[in-house]
Formats: sequence, C-alpha cells, structure tokens
Amino acid sequence: MSESVAAFSGELGAKMEPSPYGMQSKKLTMWLFIASDAVTFGAILFGYSFLRVGTPEWPKPFQFSPSIINGMIMTAVLLTSSLTMLGAVAAAKAGRRAANLKWLGATVLLGIVFAVLHLREWFHMFGEGWSLSRNPQGGPVIFGATFFSITGLHLLHVISGIIALTVVGIGFQTKWLDENHMETTGLYWHFVDLVWMFVFPLLYLMNAAR
Amino acid sequence: MDPNHSPGMRLYAMIWVALLCIVGVEVFMTYRGFSTVTLLVTLLILAIVEAGVALLYFMHLKYDRPLLLWSFVIAVVFVLLMMNQVWPDAYRMASIRHQ
Repeated sequence: MSESVAAFSGELGAKMEPSPYGMQSKKLTMWLFIASDAVTFGAILFGYSFLRVGTPEWPKPFQFSPSIINGMIMTAVLLTSSLTMLGAVAAAKAGRRAANLKWLGATVLLGIVFAVLHLREWFHMFGEGWSLSRNPQGGPVIFGATFFSITGLHLLHVISGIIALTVVGIGFQTKWLDENHMETTGLYWHFVDLVWMFVFPLLYLMNAAR
Repeated sequence: MDPNHSPGMRLYAMIWVALLCIVGVEVFMTYRGFSTVTLLVTLLILAIVEAGVALLYFMHLKYDRPLLLWSFVIAVVFVLLMMNQVWPDAYRMASIRHQ
C-alpha cells in the first residue's frame, strides 16, 4: 500500500490520507471555526465603521477615567489570561495535571474578572442613559446599537470560553479528555483575546473624549 | 518547523509584556491630538501588529505547517480587504447629512 494513502487506520478500519496540515481533525475544525468567526467580527466591525464614517456628530462618550482606564485593565486581564492559557497547555502536554489545574484556574478566574469589568462598564453606561436605542447626549442613537452589539457578541464569546475551559479542565483532570482538547480550547481562548485587540481601539479609543 | 515545538514560558512572557506595551502606545497615541483618520490608521497598524504576534506565537502559527497560514489567514485577510468597498457610500452618506 502506498505510504501517501492509508497512513491512518481508525477504529472502524477506515483508511485515510494524512492531514496536509499535520494536525488532528479537532484542531483543524477549530481553525475553520476561527476563520469563520474572524469574518463575522470583521463584518460587524466594518458595519460599525461604515455607520461611524457616514454619521456626522458621532458621540465620543468615553472619558479617560473611568472608561478608558477600565478598558486598559480589561485588555491587560485578557492578555494575561492568554499567557496563563499557554501555561495550562504546556503543563497538559507535559502531563502535569496539578500545574495544569493551577494555570487553567487562573485563566478561568481572569476570564470571569474580564466579564465582571465589562458588565460594570455596561451598567455604568446604562446609568448614564445609554441603551441600544438611546443617546443621552442627544446625538445619533446608532452608537448604542453598535457598541452594545459588538461588545455583547465578544462578551458572549468570553462567557462561552469560560464554560468551555471549565468543562475541558474537568475532563482533563478526570482523564476523560486529553492535552489535544486543551490545546484546541486554548486556540479559541487566544482568538477571543485577538478579537479584543481590535474591539478596544476601534470602539473605545476611537470614541474617547479628547 | 516542528508543530510540537514550544518556545517556552520565558518567550511567551516577553511577548505578553510586548503586547501590553503596544496597548500602552495605543492609549498614548489616542491623546496626541491626531486627526480622526490619522488616529484610526495608527491604531489599526498597532492592532494588526498585536494580532500578528498573537497569531504567530500564542496561536502557534509560526510552528505549524505553513499551509495553515497560507490557506486560512490569507483567505480571511482577502475577505476583510474585499469589505473595503463600502467606504465611498459611507462618505456619500456623510456628505448628504452635512447638506
């Protein structure tokens, strides 16, 4: 039998070519999801930018304190959670379950801190009169719709990530899941961080009162 | 490159510090009094650099097979570039509302 064909025999006897990407199907599937999700976020950020350019007197509601400082702290928290996620994957690959638990616990905790800071920012804005259809400054109301939609979709990704990391963490500790599941979930978590790298400058810094 | 290669926590920590510094530069640039267009271009360049570093090191693209980079990232970037066709209409809208 040719080496290029049937290099892998599955449990059911199926014969398959080796992956041209040199990775497991679960990791490749995560990359496919990330590519499609990147286009989704790209589209809504382009939609927001289109409206921002086409709308005169676009509001700039974010003061340096507390909003921009809060955004900087949120960014630092999310970046730090990516670092701890890398520690969790490295520990999993080395078979160090106790170390994995600590790194992953820190990642989940930082994710929760990010979500809490995000919700605190939202409620602060609700208190000022902002909503999906209201602008307390009297200008265009579309700012609230775009801001809460985009940050809400990102927050949904963060919360989904926290749940996924918790499930995978439990699965890894009980040996139900392996280090490849950990790495694949880590990819998702880094992507959530990557999206925020565009959301923070485009939605917060570009709308900072200067 | 070996897909199982790990650059180690020391390099990851250095990259983490670099990414935090880029965020600091973004905030610093925001209050330099640039025009909206100049600020947008500056922030986008910094964000793309930040995302590129995260993709290469945190998401391991540097150590995976180059086919992954060429087939996924290039395709996504192409789609995002194609979305730039909206700008003439955005400026048309703005000019109508100014009248």
